[in-house]
Amino acid sequence: MSTYKLYYFNTRGRAEIARLIFIAADQKFEDIRYEHSEWSSHKNEMPLEQMPVLEVDGVKLPQSGAIARFLAKQFHLAGKDNFEQAKVDAVVDTIADAMTQFLPIRFENDETKQIEMVKNFFANELPKHLQNLEVLAKQFGNGGLFFIGNNLTWADLLFYEVTETLLGLNKNALDNHQWLKQNRAEVEKQPRIAEYLKNRPKSQF
Amino acid sequence: MSSGDLKFYYFDLQARGELTRLILAAAGRSYEDIRFGFDKWPEYKPKMILGQAPVLELADGTQLPQSLTIARYVAREAGLAGSDNLESAKIDAVVDTQKDVNETYFSKVFPEKDETKKAEELKKFLDETVTKHVENLGKLKKAYSKDEKYFVGDKLSWADLFVFQSIQALLQAVPEVKGKFGEQFKPLMDAINGNENIKKYLDARPQTAF
Repeated sequence: MSTYKLYYFNTRGRAEIARLIFIAADQKFEDIRYEHSEWSSHKNEMPLEQMPVLEVDGVKLPQSGAIARFLAKQFHLAGKDNFEQAKVDAVVDTIADAMTQFLPIRFENDETKQIEMVKNFFANELPKHLQNLEVLAKQFGNGGLFFIGNNLTWADLLFYEVTETLLGLNKNALDNHQWLKQNRAEVEKQPRIAEYLKNRPKSQF
Repeated sequence: MSSGDLKFYYFDLQARGELTRLILAAAGRSYEDIRFGFDKWPEYKPKMILGQAPVLELADGTQLPQSLTIARYVAREAGLAGSDNLESAKIDAVVDTQKDVNETYFSKVFPEKDETKKAEELKKFLDETVTKHVENLGKLKKAYSKDEKYFVGDKLSWADLFVFQSIQALLQAVPEVKGKFGEQFKPLMDAINGNENIKKYLDARPQTAF
């Protein structure tokens, strides 16, 4: 039995996907959350002085994508063979492309500028990524409600997680995307996820 | 094994395609290396699953988009992605760390048109980003390597090839970066340059602008 510790700030951010994978797989982990004030005293304990970090049996892994993929594979949420895993990775990368464009907005301090950037993102940037995700779902899903094959994978969990943030800023973001809305609903109703979502701390990001 | 069962579509450039070509070369895997100029892109774009390149196409016509997904897939097929899940994850961590730096260069330095601003961004990139990155790569190698040469364990992985390719590409674009990597990656670079399959590929590959 491996022991898992996840280190991050007290927010969803880049760690929530890992938390969702643990929950979906019903696996125990130590959910260590540092407030920003305590972070500086722990910084040099982390391989790249960043978080999230996953500690598996004493080995520390940085990089949120690497962590999530590792956990998904450990707990059979990553696709059943190499090719399925590649399809999952392709959806994950496509979601990540959208969020790379979103990131500067998240950290923009000028409020007026930020509002403009948000408007521009939803009107001009996000639609093509959502379309791409629909293309992939059509190619890789088996006509069902999950991105790949007929089973929940971490691609579905990641899509749920990032759209949580986006819908918080624009509740109409998925209005023209029926399948994507249904995919979210499917994730939300998985019993362990539903329970977790009811009780988890609220955070904007 | 006929080369017709695997097709790799990308521009006639290194950029986001070269890593996969290097992995396939290291693996001795034959494939159709389909390269096109920007002028031919309008012909290819509608045939690509997301209208982007690179794309890997299997014998049955299924297409995979996303350069690092493709690279990871072919690396796994070739046994260049670690011997267990944890090794694969360490490799992914090195890849993601290198990717972060490449993306910083491509978003902050490369597109800057204003000469003065570009020089500023480049200086910042070299003094801050690259310096920190070399430190970070050193830390990861210390934590994950078993032989002081390869990044993870004691054999070649696609993380080694990605760092190799990224350093080469950066050296070509920004010769000033030369001294910044020191001697610590020399054993790795020598091993890769000396790998028979890779050497054959490097000697034969077309010279491109980037």
